[in-house]
Amino acid sequence: MKKVMLIMRRAPYGTVYTAEGLRSVMGLAVFELDVALAFVGDGVYTIMRNQDASGLDMKPLGEAFSGLSDFGVQHYYVHAPSLAERGLTTEDLVVPAEVLDDAGLQRLLAEQDAVLPF
Amino acid sequence: MKFAVLVLEGPYQHQAADSAYHFIQAARGRGHEIVGVFLYTDAVNNANRFVSPPGERNIAQRYEQLAVEGVPVVACTACAKFRGLTKDTKMEHIRMSGLGSLAEFIQGADRFVTFGD
Repeated sequence: MKKVMLIMRRAPYGTVYTAEGLRSVMGLAVFELDVALAFVGDGVYTIMRNQDASGLDMKPLGEAFSGLSDFGVQHYYVHAPSLAERGLTTEDLVVPAEVLDDAGLQRLLAEQDAVLPF
Repeated sequence: MKFAVLVLEGPYQHQAADSAYHFIQAARGRGHEIVGVFLYTDAVNNANRFVSPPGERNIAQRYEQLAVEGVPVVACTACAKFRGLTKDTKMEHIRMSGLGSLAEFIQGADRFVTFGD
């Protein structure tokens, strides 16, 4: 089975990319693909607890990402330096993500057949 | 080698749609196969048959020409709905389909390349 990784690089609101990334994870995971998710840079905000997007007339994205296991998504990765730079820890996250340093992220990227950056 | 291409931006505002087109043409010119081009999010606007830039390259026409020459070019159905692109306003040879087509392109390709912002 081909390995596909989606990289969430942006803050969850303000542009459509994160919401589309979420939609494509759900769309791709139902086909014969091994789908993983990595959160990097401002993308780590995507899986922060207690998001309230009601003022933006949007659905909160954090909880939606935590429900992706129902679609067969088993692998969540988060970039440790990105968390640290923003004063966050894995305690702040809604999904049990594996923490990676730069080298770990590099290795993971090299293992993928396809990478979709959002 | 077999390539699949994902485009994430519409015409003119970003370079992505131009770069993807030039990449595709360069790859084909060297004997590589493009198994599919998936136009996602704003990139579905590259399939609008009413794109008509005065005195400039017509990016939508370029994608249509790829499709005419047998390169599978697919615009995301849901993204098209969000942006008001319909089968009456899209280029004739560019197909509308869902993420299943993107999955199929990924499965059929040796390399997957994204052009976006």
